[in-house]
Amino acid sequence: MAQAVLAVLAISGVAAMLALILVVAERFIARYGSCTIDINQGTRQITIEGGKSLLNVLTEEKLFIPSACGGRGTCGYCKVTIREGGGPILPTETPFLTADEQEQGLRLSCQVKVRNDLVIKIPEELLSVREYTAVCEKIEDLTYDMKRFILRLQEPDRIDYVPGQYVQLLCPPYPGSDEEVYRAYSIASDPAETGRVDLIIRRVPNGICTTWCFEHLQEGQTVRINGPYGEFRLSDNPAPALFIAGGSGMAPFVSILHQMEHAHDTRSVRYFYGGNQVRDLCLLDEMKRFEEHLEDFTFVPVVAEPGPEESWDGRRGLVTEAVSEEFDNLADYEAYLCGSPGMIDAAIKVLKSLGIDKARVYYDKFA
Amino acid sequence: MKQSPDMARLEQVLRSGRIVRGGFLGTDRRPLAEIIEADRAAVTRRGLTCERIAGRMAELTAAAMGRLGTWVDAGGGLQVRAEEHKGLIVCPWPHPARCRKRITTARRSETGQALQWTDLSIHLIGKHAFFQGRESAFRMEPDALIDFLGLTGEATAEDAGIWPTPKR
Repeated sequence: MAQAVLAVLAISGVAAMLALILVVAERFIARYGSCTIDINQGTRQITIEGGKSLLNVLTEEKLFIPSACGGRGTCGYCKVTIREGGGPILPTETPFLTADEQEQGLRLSCQVKVRNDLVIKIPEELLSVREYTAVCEKIEDLTYDMKRFILRLQEPDRIDYVPGQYVQLLCPPYPGSDEEVYRAYSIASDPAETGRVDLIIRRVPNGICTTWCFEHLQEGQTVRINGPYGEFRLSDNPAPALFIAGGSGMAPFVSILHQMEHAHDTRSVRYFYGGNQVRDLCLLDEMKRFEEHLEDFTFVPVVAEPGPEESWDGRRGLVTEAVSEEFDNLADYEAYLCGSPGMIDAAIKVLKSLGIDKARVYYDKFA
Repeated sequence: MKQSPDMARLEQVLRSGRIVRGGFLGTDRRPLAEIIEADRAAVTRRGLTCERIAGRMAELTAAAMGRLGTWVDAGGGLQVRAEEHKGLIVCPWPHPARCRKRITTARRSETGQALQWTDLSIHLIGKHAFFQGRESAFRMEPDALIDFLGLTGEATAEDAGIWPTPKR
């Protein structure tokens, strides 16, 4: 018995000693010293103390790489190209990187620890991403599960973006959610109002950020956003355009329509906006105003199944069905889609069947 | 069932609100290994496997996706409807699985009885035999779920790979 106790004590002692050695080694031996990160061939160089993840280092330097999981290596969004010094790709990265991406040197910045000098490349547009503090000036109910949050920028007090782009909103910890998270939302404001960012947010049942927005965020409260991000935007092509959206997918189109109005754009646009019921539709009056002010803009709200108490004399069915019924051939069109991944997949299928060139279908499904 | 250190770490993640608000375990204070084992045993008692249950749920979700946002007749007295939100949600287990933020509602035409699940619920049940903790937002009681889906058992506990075959 005594021998067994002694054996356990001996093993525990050895284990404790090893743990102590590891802690000491991490603290005093595994110091990486000063490391330089060259970004985009000398466009920017930063010198930092090694040991942190590349994503954290870049964030501290106010270089914001989109990330939805807070650096836990689970979202796969924070890809950057590492030309030199990144070391071997880790097993935690490989599921998120295609063979081509690995060949090109793409890595998950949250998984790469800065241990030595690095030469990296990030998309040019991310260099202009900034962090903003803003005051939530007004919260408007748009539907039973959608609200518009009007943010007045404080520092910096203006933002330049291309209509169609999105920002990331920082959701702080609150009861039921332990950590800061960022979520992406399209900008839904008039780009001429550079001091204001509107977000249209639909509540996700049990969603971390939308619950915070709906239950905790108050008018007058300060929030943090960063951006702008994204390639979704109206092309310069004068081809007739089809917009297709559902729910909060309305957001980027509000901004794009403001842009068209300011530019006196005469381009032909048909906008199909779908809801399951009448109560799911929003901003109908604003769309009517755009119809009056834009030369060739038609807004087509579509309701899948009006509720028993709802009166609706507009188009019925799925938004994709309405498009199929309206057009025989879309070969000359461009299409712009924003909504849930399922809606976008269904829309792409319909558009292809109507002869649209896949390269002229633009979408942002945040997935 | 003894809980491994990895399981204990996972339990911490599941109890936290890092992935979904309020976490996955609700008010359930049982260790994660015990929750999983109890639910697995309930499935096995019915002669079923978690994979089969998840497979049926996935079929119903796929049927609902034919007309996203509207009620679809899925046969067998069931109507289903899927609602989607933008974005993806990650599996809390340490592997790179991501699911769409999609909620399927299924209801029995005759009784109006309804159940809701997410794509992540399907994954958690099928891959991890995890039906979530009591009083969590998307907890599914295995027996109630099996009854609702109208599944009948064929597989044995041994088929389900839950209990090792005793050596004779």
